[in-house]
Amino acid sequence: MDNKIENDPFSQNDTILSSALTEKVKYLSDLNDSIKNGNDLKVYELMDPNRFATEVKGEQPEQPKPNFFGLAADLKAQLSHHLSNKLIDYLGTTYPFFYYHEFELGKFNIYFGNWWDHRMFGELDAINVQFNFAEDEYNTLAKSFELEAQNKRVNDDQMQELGQKNEKLTQLIEDQNKRDQRKEEIRKQIKENEAKSPMPWEAGKVKEEHQQLQNALLELTNIDEQASDGRAEIKKNENQILALSKEETIYNLEKQNIRASFGSFEAFIDNNNNLYAKYLQSLSKETQVTDGE
Amino acid sequence: MSNENNETEKQVLTTTELLKNYTNAIQTGLDNGSKYVDAFESLNTTKELNDLLAAAVQLTNYRLNTDFVEFPHQFSDEDVQLIFLERLLKLSDNANGFTISNAENVQKLLCTFGSLGDNTFTFTKSTKNESGFFFGPTAHNRPLFYLNLKNKELMFHGTSLIEYFVVDLEGLDVSAIKQALQVMIQAAQVLKETFGFKIDFNVLDGVNGEFYEFAAGEIPEPILDELFVKSADNQYILMSGQNGGAALTLDNDTKLTVYNAGDDDRPKWGATIHDNDQQESWLNLLLDYPFIKDWYLNNKKQLDILSNKIVFG
Repeated sequence: MDNKIENDPFSQNDTILSSALTEKVKYLSDLNDSIKNGNDLKVYELMDPNRFATEVKGEQPEQPKPNFFGLAADLKAQLSHHLSNKLIDYLGTTYPFFYYHEFELGKFNIYFGNWWDHRMFGELDAINVQFNFAEDEYNTLAKSFELEAQNKRVNDDQMQELGQKNEKLTQLIEDQNKRDQRKEEIRKQIKENEAKSPMPWEAGKVKEEHQQLQNALLELTNIDEQASDGRAEIKKNENQILALSKEETIYNLEKQNIRASFGSFEAFIDNNNNLYAKYLQSLSKETQVTDGE
Repeated sequence: MSNENNETEKQVLTTTELLKNYTNAIQTGLDNGSKYVDAFESLNTTKELNDLLAAAVQLTNYRLNTDFVEFPHQFSDEDVQLIFLERLLKLSDNANGFTISNAENVQKLLCTFGSLGDNTFTFTKSTKNESGFFFGPTAHNRPLFYLNLKNKELMFHGTSLIEYFVVDLEGLDVSAIKQALQVMIQAAQVLKETFGFKIDFNVLDGVNGEFYEFAAGEIPEPILDELFVKSADNQYILMSGQNGGAALTLDNDTKLTVYNAGDDDRPKWGATIHDNDQQESWLNLLLDYPFIKDWYLNNKKQLDILSNKIVFG
């Protein structure tokens, strides 16, 4: 045994191995203690010491700190569940309009608001203290803010188009009597035309007139058909308009809530980007206060 | 043998006996009339609620005419109900706002509510039950409530109340409408407290948690979408509730909840209202909040509030 060590080309010895293992044991033991003591701040530091140093303490370490989180990485779901408790409390005051649902251990859906048909807005990552917003939902909100500045709404064009369609259909339905009268006239004219016994040199003209009248009649019956399907179509469009105004109502509530908490969309984005630091600093203050007592 | 005997006896009825039978029959008719007069006198003048009800029950379906005595001027059963209602309100100090308007027209008395101007109301006998009567506006065929004094029942008809007070009388001052409703509610309450009547207040029920059941059973989502949009337009926010339901907080902490009281297989959608004073009813909400009224009327087929089907169906 001894012989081997002396000849080890990697200058490995048990002392080094043992101290490396001790460090790992200490890491896990620290993590365990922090969990038991409810010291989430320390847990975050242990999970990502480098990010913690730069973003929370504002340090610029020359060398990256050793990171042992790999040792507990398979416990992410459990850790996330544990950390979510205090994090969601904190978010409850800073983002009062977000609601969370743990759909599986340590995984949280974010809901925007608790109003009717509120949107599922993505997921909360408690380990990295960040929102992973659903792209579509987030983009629509961003667009809604953007358009608002121009006094427009996301669904304006679509709603306007549907509204115009309905106006047109209503007009078609209302004009039924006029069309009926017109058709009656044309039918009379057709009869008159057919009663004519023209001179050979006029026959072409009469025939042409007959065709024109037939065409006019066909066009009117086509419009009649559109009108008779009109009511169902109007109802369909109305339902669509309703769905679109519901969406707009939801965007409005979302915007109102963001403004009430952050003042502007930009401030909201800014806060999201610095959420890790802000949350951990707030935890740190809390710890100090508790220590002081 | 005995048959023969009987026939023989009949044949030997003397003139005196015949005349006696005749006077007896008239006397019975007169006694019947005099009983009627006593009951009517009581209906008209008694100070006791118990006597009033007894008189009205006795006079309803009273056969005043007999083979030998007929009375050409009679109040109808409908008239009796109306007189009863008017006197009931008077005796329980609720006389204000309800009057019989044409007392000289025997056979079809009409009444008016002080706050509703010239609109007249009257009773109509049920075709299904001879002691049941519908109360409604003379100009519209709408049974606002059903009254059966004999069975001690009064049931309000939600659909008709809404049709009449919310749609027909639209434009009239809401407080005037509420005054008239209050008169009817008071009458029902007196009947309940004094005689133990079974009352279905339906859309007038202000008790918290009263379930106003919608006719459709299932309420499709777009209908709640519409309420959401209309609420937001009026600065109220419809919140999402349990089991796909929704809740709306209105003025003075009045809370309207729409939900499925059944399950997915057998949906039973309806609404409840909670308010601090237990005063707000479904009808009040429709009167007080035009956007809820519009929502209701737009989706009346589904949102209609169910009433007793046997009586009103």
